[in-house]
Amino acid sequence: MARNKYDVDEELDTPFNRQHMKRLLGYVQPYKKRMMMAVGLMLVSSIAGMATPYLLSVGIDVFIPQKNISGLVLLAFVLLVTLIITALCFRHRLVIMSDVGQSIIRDIRSDIFRKLQKLPFEYYDSRPHGKILVRVVNYVNSLSDLLSNGLVNMITDLFTLFVIIGYMLFLDPRLTLVSLAGLPPLVLAIFLVKGIQRKRTQAVSRKQSNLNAYIHESICGIKVTQAFAREEENFKIFRELSTEYRKTWMAYVRSIFIMWPIIENISVWAVSLVYVAGISLLGTGASVGILVAFVGYIWRFWTPIINLGNFYNALINSMAYLERIFETIDEVPKVDNLPSATEMPTIQGKVVFDNVTFSYDDGYPILKNMSFTIEKGQTVALVGPTGAGKTTVVNLLSRFYNVDSGKVLIDDVDISQVTLESLRKQMGIMLQDTFIFSGTIMDNIRYSRLDATDEEVIAAAKAVCAHEFISSLKDGYYTEVNERGTRLSVGQRQLISFARSLLADPRILILDEATSSIDTKTELALQQGLETLLKGRTSFVIAHRLSTIKNASVIFYIDRGRIIEAGTHEELMKKRGAYYNLYTAQYSFLEAV
Amino acid sequence: MSFKWIWTYIRPYGLIMLLGLVLVLITSGLAMVNPFMSGMIVDKVIEASQTHLLWSIIAVMVITTLVKSVGRYAYQLIFETVSQGVFKKIREDIYNKIQTLDFDFFNKNRTGDIMAKMTGDMEAVRHFIAWVIYMVFENATIFIFAVTMLFITNAPLALFMVAITPVTGFFAVRLAKEVKPTFFAIREQFSRLNTVVQENISGNRVVKAFAKEGYEIEKFERENEAYREKNVASAQVWSKFLPIIDALASSLMVAMILVGGILVINGSMSLGELVTFNGFLWALNNPMRMVGWLINDTQRFVASAEKVMGLLESEPKITPNEDAVQKDRIRGSVEFCHVGFSYGDEKVLEDISFTAEPGQTVAIIGPTGAGKSTLLNLICRFYDCTEGAIYIDGTDIRQMDLKLLRESIASAMQDVFLFSDTIEGNIAYGVPGATEEQIQWAAQMAGAHEFISTFEEGYDTIVGERGVGLSGGQKQRIALARALLKNPSILILDDTTSSVDSETEHRIHSSLKSYYRDKTTFIIAHRISSVKNADMILVLDEGRIIEQGTHDELLAQKGYYYSVFQNQFGDFDSFISKEVG
Ligand SMILES: Nc1ncnc2c1ncn2[C@@H]1O[C@H](COP(=O)(O)OP(=O)(O)OP(=O)(O)O)[C@@H](O)[C@H]1O
Ligand SMILES: Nc1ncnc2c1ncn2[C@@H]1O[C@H](COP(=O)(O)OP(=O)(O)OP(=O)(O)O)[C@@H](O)[C@H]1O
Ligand SMILES: [Mg+2]
Ligand SMILES: [Mg+2]
Repeated sequence: MARNKYDVDEELDTPFNRQHMKRLLGYVQPYKKRMMMAVGLMLVSSIAGMATPYLLSVGIDVFIPQKNISGLVLLAFVLLVTLIITALCFRHRLVIMSDVGQSIIRDIRSDIFRKLQKLPFEYYDSRPHGKILVRVVNYVNSLSDLLSNGLVNMITDLFTLFVIIGYMLFLDPRLTLVSLAGLPPLVLAIFLVKGIQRKRTQAVSRKQSNLNAYIHESICGIKVTQAFAREEENFKIFRELSTEYRKTWMAYVRSIFIMWPIIENISVWAVSLVYVAGISLLGTGASVGILVAFVGYIWRFWTPIINLGNFYNALINSMAYLERIFETIDEVPKVDNLPSATEMPTIQGKVVFDNVTFSYDDGYPILKNMSFTIEKGQTVALVGPTGAGKTTVVNLLSRFYNVDSGKVLIDDVDISQVTLESLRKQMGIMLQDTFIFSGTIMDNIRYSRLDATDEEVIAAAKAVCAHEFISSLKDGYYTEVNERGTRLSVGQRQLISFARSLLADPRILILDEATSSIDTKTELALQQGLETLLKGRTSFVIAHRLSTIKNASVIFYIDRGRIIEAGTHEELMKKRGAYYNLYTAQYSFLEAV
Repeated sequence: MSFKWIWTYIRPYGLIMLLGLVLVLITSGLAMVNPFMSGMIVDKVIEASQTHLLWSIIAVMVITTLVKSVGRYAYQLIFETVSQGVFKKIREDIYNKIQTLDFDFFNKNRTGDIMAKMTGDMEAVRHFIAWVIYMVFENATIFIFAVTMLFITNAPLALFMVAITPVTGFFAVRLAKEVKPTFFAIREQFSRLNTVVQENISGNRVVKAFAKEGYEIEKFERENEAYREKNVASAQVWSKFLPIIDALASSLMVAMILVGGILVINGSMSLGELVTFNGFLWALNNPMRMVGWLINDTQRFVASAEKVMGLLESEPKITPNEDAVQKDRIRGSVEFCHVGFSYGDEKVLEDISFTAEPGQTVAIIGPTGAGKSTLLNLICRFYDCTEGAIYIDGTDIRQMDLKLLRESIASAMQDVFLFSDTIEGNIAYGVPGATEEQIQWAAQMAGAHEFISTFEEGYDTIVGERGVGLSGGQKQRIALARALLKNPSILILDDTTSSVDSETEHRIHSSLKSYYRDKTTFIIAHRISSVKNADMILVLDEGRIIEQGTHDELLAQKGYYYSVFQNQFGDFDSFISKEVG
């Protein structure tokens, strides 16, 4: 699997297409009614706004020459009314649009987050987590303006544009054609810079993602950094990423800002052309009044165009983020429920590996043709050198990864045919890397079964001998542990995550090095308590301290992805094979004395 | 406060900023030209039929537009350059700050929150410099130009119109006051949202293991919805004020037509003047309209800037000693002298005293949570002891140069953290310039070379976040190699072989024997096999040393150590006899 790291750009898998736009509009769909209302409000206010020049001209042309002060007062009153109407429309539009915009953002974010919950380990294994984080939070945020005001403005601007063109056509079709002469060069210009803009915005989003990934990892690994006094070197790397980001950013703004001068200059050329043409046409039906009105409209005509240009910039800008967001939403989970998946019935506990071959990276099989059968209620110990594939075996059992070939069966049901949730709900897995959430100890243990009562939680803690230390804390079970449980010692973290797995009351219990950082005495005490709990349950135990697994119903010695020995402790000791050697290795230092 | 702070960053760019502002001034001035020229065309070319003027007027229009647009482009880039410069500097300052903050800070602050500051808040700061500052200036200059023009045209009417400004000011101030807390609320919620997502991503394995996706989604949606609500609540506030400010700006028109009209009727103003007035009205209008938006963005900046400043101002409790005792090298004798330590008011270590000489190995054993890791954390000064003192080479470590101290110590920590980088990069983390041979040597010593070579890409294999892609024991050995490569005076191995099988462990320990020779080594372990050969074994329980001595001495004491030995090897004799018999 090609892993990504902070200084490697993520290339985009999905090419940009119109589909993205369509999908984006799909998010707008549920709010269509309110969007329409906002557009309506916008139109009312712009019509009211357009009345102003007219009212003004009435004042100047009619009332002032007539010296009609009461007429002026009336006029001012009417103006005031249009003004209030505009303000009211404006207010409602703001409220509606921020609400709609934020709702759309929420929906997109919700979709990407839900997708993330579906994506298997493999997705998280292959890229820095900081890069995933910014997609969910920052990228989605950057869409908010585009989707609320941007969209409504675009619709009204387009509308205004057509109204103005209508007016212009009404006034003089020939001059209209002349003034529209500015459009082709504009389109050409947009077309020319578009490609560059797109490339550069993508570059920005890539560099930003790299930078964020590095920041994220720097924060997570700060303790190591300080322990190794590596601050200066890290800063150098950071500065490099930061400089690179700035460089791409500047390149990006250079290409984005160029649209403005282009539009401005083309517009002034168009206006000039209209003047020249209008004046030469003066005799042939075009009057001064028309010309003046016309020019007035041309200036107005370019405002929405400039706005549209801005909208387009925002769109290009967001597109780079949108592509990333959709890429994540479209990610096909490598491990997913089959369409025909059924619920896993209550597990009795028979487990069969049937000729299982598995590799994390194609061509490098970790498990090779592994077959075994475990009867209901047995305790299975997996032992063997590190990196042999023990964790991998239990990973497959929970279907965190799919097997390449062969089958994993529980109670004779192929686990790839059942829903993931129904399968995993019946398993209690204690992962080799303990993970503690920020929150109270109580919540952490309860995580595996949210409806467990306090008493049940405490019982689980007691079973793993954690009760004593927990109650010695000032706030007991309500002690807030920090992110990843840094407030606790590593052994204590292990005990809590152990308790969590037990509380799940699983049909199959998997303990991957559950007690590796726990002292021998606690471990022994724990084991005695555990025996009663394990009764009737199938369990998998991985351990390097062999004293802990001596009583297992069956021990598999795994080496390089194969089971090379299987049997009880006594049987394997008699065999004097790999297990025997491993077992005696722990004594070897005694003899070395 | 936020403004003063940001000013210190902007100041170095003072000159170029000034240039930008001058350009703003010029382009704002030029913006007055085109409306004027349009008037000329109507008055001179059409009405007065001076057709020959047409071309020159058009030329002026085209050229001013060109100059104006180039000027605008230039100052936009100038402000972007400044903002990116400032942005980069602040970002780097934060990064440096983060690197100097101590464990205590990171225990209390969540990654998601720090990330929120470095992404969302920094973005608000950038936006302020890149956009708000020049917009304020641009609008201010246009406004001033327009007011001047109006006063020149007709002072009484101009005075009347300017009279509306204080009213706008009043609402602007109210907006600023009312909207500020809503932005604070938004960014707090942003941080919470970030934290939830961050934790969900880093805990994704546990989430899946317990099939708790539904619960996580619920948790997330709460924050997600709250974030939306906070934003909408903020919009409720500003949507109250912006239309008012907008209407006030438009009301200038009403004032103009009513008052101006009466003035014209009175004869104290000409109709032409009124038309000119009308022409410049937009230049008065627009800046007033912008006031509301600019205030919004500014308050957003203030809310974020305070967070960023807060981060920059957090002070680590452990600081590098300014007048440190200068030394080139640390030999490695470590002395604990009645050391006590508590996290807050929770006592973790009490009255710890022992001495370790260079070349010696000290092993620490004891129950979970006894304080073993804490004790070794004190040597590295990740925390300072609250009682007593620790001496290295006879110097109190608080009097030593922090960098030298940490450079002389290498530790393989208990919760292994690997970076998502190549294996080589990870091993060379403490010695960035290490050669390939050195790296391989360290890997060999740590018993890692063998498995690394079996990987398709060998030392160039990239490991995932926190070392995903390696087995538990493999991660530990990479972390061990990382520590060994540093060739320190003091080596700390905290439970480094807990996930390694006994055979491999045995091999590692025997190959390290020669390595330990000139170093002070601390080993924490639960397996007797790891600690047995130490020169001194400390048994720690509830923060106190309860036994101390060599393996044989401790066995003879028949205390805690002896019972652990019995637990692990009690069957050794029977095992041997069975083997023999
Ligand atoms: N997510 C992954 N992606 C790629 N390779 C992996 C991944 N996880 C493990 N491996 C590789 O698969 C092999 C078996 O790993 P596994 O974790 O199953 O070992 P293990 O027997 O549990 O070892 P340990 O006792 O050290 O925990 C190792 O060589 C490891 O590098
Ligand atoms: N950041 C912290 N804040 C408060 N208390 C802490 C913190 N870190 C550790 N502790 C507490 O200090 C005690 C000692 O922790 P320490 O990590 O030193 O134990 P340890 O002996 O290394 O245990 P283990 O064998 O499990 O690693 C524990 O009770 C733990 O709960
Ligand atoms: Mg493992
Ligand atoms: Mg510890």
